[in-house]
Amino acid sequence: MLYTSYALSEKISGTATRRNVLKYAATAVVVGVVAGVGGYGVGSTAVQPQTITKTERVTQTVGGVTTVTQTVGTTVVQTATVTVTPTKPKPSPPPGRTEVKIGVLAPLAAREGKVQENAARLAVEEINAAGGILGLPVKLVVADDKLSADTAVAEFRRLVTVEKVDVITGGFSSGVMTATMEPMAELKTIFFADASSPAHSRKVGSNYEKYKYWFRITQNNGITFALDGAEQIDYLRKKGVSIDKVYLIRDEHVWVDEWEPLLTKLLTERKVEIVKSVKIPRGFTEYEPLILEAARLGAQAIFMALAISGTGDVLAKQWATLRQPLLLIGHDLAAIDLGYWDKTGGAGEYVIFMADGGVVGTAPPTDIAKKFIDNYTKKYGYPPEAHQGFGAYDAVYLYKKVVEEAALAGEKNPFDSDTLVPYIERYTYNNPFVWTRKVAFYPKGSWGPDGTRTDHDLIWGDDYVKNWMSQWQGGKQMVLHPDWLKNADLKLPPWLR
Amino acid sequence: MLSPEILITILIYGGTLGGVLALLSSGFTMIFGVVRILNMAHGAFFATGAYIAYTIVASLGTAPVFATALAAILVGAIGAAMYRALLAHIKRLEATVIIVTLALALILEQLLLIRFGEHGLNLSPIVAGVVEIFTIPISAIRVLALAFSVVTLALLAVFITRTRTGKEIVAASQNLEGAVIIGLHIEKLFLLSVFISSVLAGLGGALYAQVYGVNPFLVLRVLVLAFAIVIFGGLGSLKGSVVASFIMGYIIILVTMLLGARWSEMVALMTIIAVLVIRPNGLFGVRD
Repeated sequence: MLYTSYALSEKISGTATRRNVLKYAATAVVVGVVAGVGGYGVGSTAVQPQTITKTERVTQTVGGVTTVTQTVGTTVVQTATVTVTPTKPKPSPPPGRTEVKIGVLAPLAAREGKVQENAARLAVEEINAAGGILGLPVKLVVADDKLSADTAVAEFRRLVTVEKVDVITGGFSSGVMTATMEPMAELKTIFFADASSPAHSRKVGSNYEKYKYWFRITQNNGITFALDGAEQIDYLRKKGVSIDKVYLIRDEHVWVDEWEPLLTKLLTERKVEIVKSVKIPRGFTEYEPLILEAARLGAQAIFMALAISGTGDVLAKQWATLRQPLLLIGHDLAAIDLGYWDKTGGAGEYVIFMADGGVVGTAPPTDIAKKFIDNYTKKYGYPPEAHQGFGAYDAVYLYKKVVEEAALAGEKNPFDSDTLVPYIERYTYNNPFVWTRKVAFYPKGSWGPDGTRTDHDLIWGDDYVKNWMSQWQGGKQMVLHPDWLKNADLKLPPWLR
Repeated sequence: MLSPEILITILIYGGTLGGVLALLSSGFTMIFGVVRILNMAHGAFFATGAYIAYTIVASLGTAPVFATALAAILVGAIGAAMYRALLAHIKRLEATVIIVTLALALILEQLLLIRFGEHGLNLSPIVAGVVEIFTIPISAIRVLALAFSVVTLALLAVFITRTRTGKEIVAASQNLEGAVIIGLHIEKLFLLSVFISSVLAGLGGALYAQVYGVNPFLVLRVLVLAFAIVIFGGLGSLKGSVVASFIMGYIIILVTMLLGARWSEMVALMTIIAVLVIRPNGLFGVRD
């Protein structure tokens, strides 16, 4: 199963309407409060049993094929037991604790690292202004991994053993992340992580007890690029674009090796032929002969899998200059950069790409995402410079949330990593942590579309976090799909119309 | 068997790439041939030419053709200033020259990173659009870049072989002591050589940015490429550098088209190593 997303609609009929149930609930709360119902337990008030007719609609997509199951007219009895908000005083932190320390470990010279520091700092400032975590002030401690595995491992240890941080967020390079997971496991510290390699969640799957502290919060497992790629084809076909041949231009790097076989399989299922897969080295710029070859081989699109090469902007420029009857689609890290438009001199217009990390600035998926972008821009003078900022911001708030939940549940030490793991794991299917994105993690024992483990990866799906299908239009990144988020329709290059 | 279409593509694209490489390498070999210094800042001059042209277009709105010419001249002035202020005093110390120019290259790279950031920039081309050569579409700026290269290198050849100053430069490069004895103004000739060398680098960079794009990491990337080409052609041989540039251009495109892009530069560099094993002084180099 590739993924499952649920759209649950509920119709209440009979003697009880939704409004009535809410009315009963409100009444019960008032009654409860007036009657002095309180304490830390659960207060409840019974009202008259109501009959509810419930229609449940489940949308399930498997391998790109969507099936809709609708169950109509299930009659249930609503006993209308209403939970009353507890009135017990807020839980207090463990004795002796005076502050909460959050560590950021990222490559600070790179925008993908700096944005994590900036975003986490903003979150910490906001949390402190609102009273901290369990009333304790929050302190941010920042370390630079310098994109080096050795440095990252040493700095992780320093953050935990010297700086005494409670949790760490950060990362960027997959290779560095793999190394950093070792001190994380040894020091049993929650790590809200970036990087997209499937190898990380496989480690969690292979030895859950050891690596369970790791949660990939910034972006989806890289395997999902294959699913996004297949969806791009589906979308284009739905829009009337005929595609049965694509020409793949990809980094010569393991990150593409991980998902190219799945992409090939999914495209083959769709009767789309990859006429050629061209591996390019870092810094490659001679794209024009490749573009001509793609056209000669009859491809209707060039599918990019570019990040390490760093020259996706050059490809776009040469593609727009040659104006061959080809679309430029797929994944290009350069296209996610807000400066892409200037870098390509506007040649990026019409390029279709995957926006990693689940947020496109012109179409924030939540109100909090919009506020975050505004506040970030106000504080730093420019919008979040990379998608990793959303992950870091969500990580700080998610940590606050689970610590408070653990304290509320009466946990002896709500800052203990072993204690917190199950609380974080509660944010899974049907129960996302809605912040700048709908953050939910695959549970222990999950298997991905490539047949490997995906424990603690972000759940991929329209209702969760996804690399949104986007297009550069008029100098802006616009979302094309899914429907609930899209803010633009597909625009084809004039030389293809 | 190559189809005519692929063959023509290789011929056209290999030629245009070779032209830009020739601008890069001819300046590098010239400064070595005449002044006897290995200018490790040559790649930095190449990138600086691109950034100056970009800045002129972006800030003054000047036509790209004027920005390109102005950038080449300004880079020439930067090169001459560097020679006057630093290299003239240390040019006899070969290792020192290498370290100093390499340090200058890294400083320039850092300055470009600070000023423009790590991401690439696009310079509007002097001519937009596509031309068709034997039914093969090719961006017009590539053709123009090749024409610029050929014309510039032809002018350089005329200057060196037909003018008095050019002949004096050749004389100085062939026999420095003899040139001094017959009363040539050696320092003036050195300064002029460094200026011309830097102009070629700046022009190459400005054209490169129009065909591809520019980022600060080009500083070291093109330095390695230029170094490899001039060694291949024969250190100090202008003709060797031009021929080696075109061979390199053709190998890169040929391998890209036939074996795959991943092998292009690797095969080119392996070819250079193979040639140097057979001819240690390069294609047109002479034994000391």
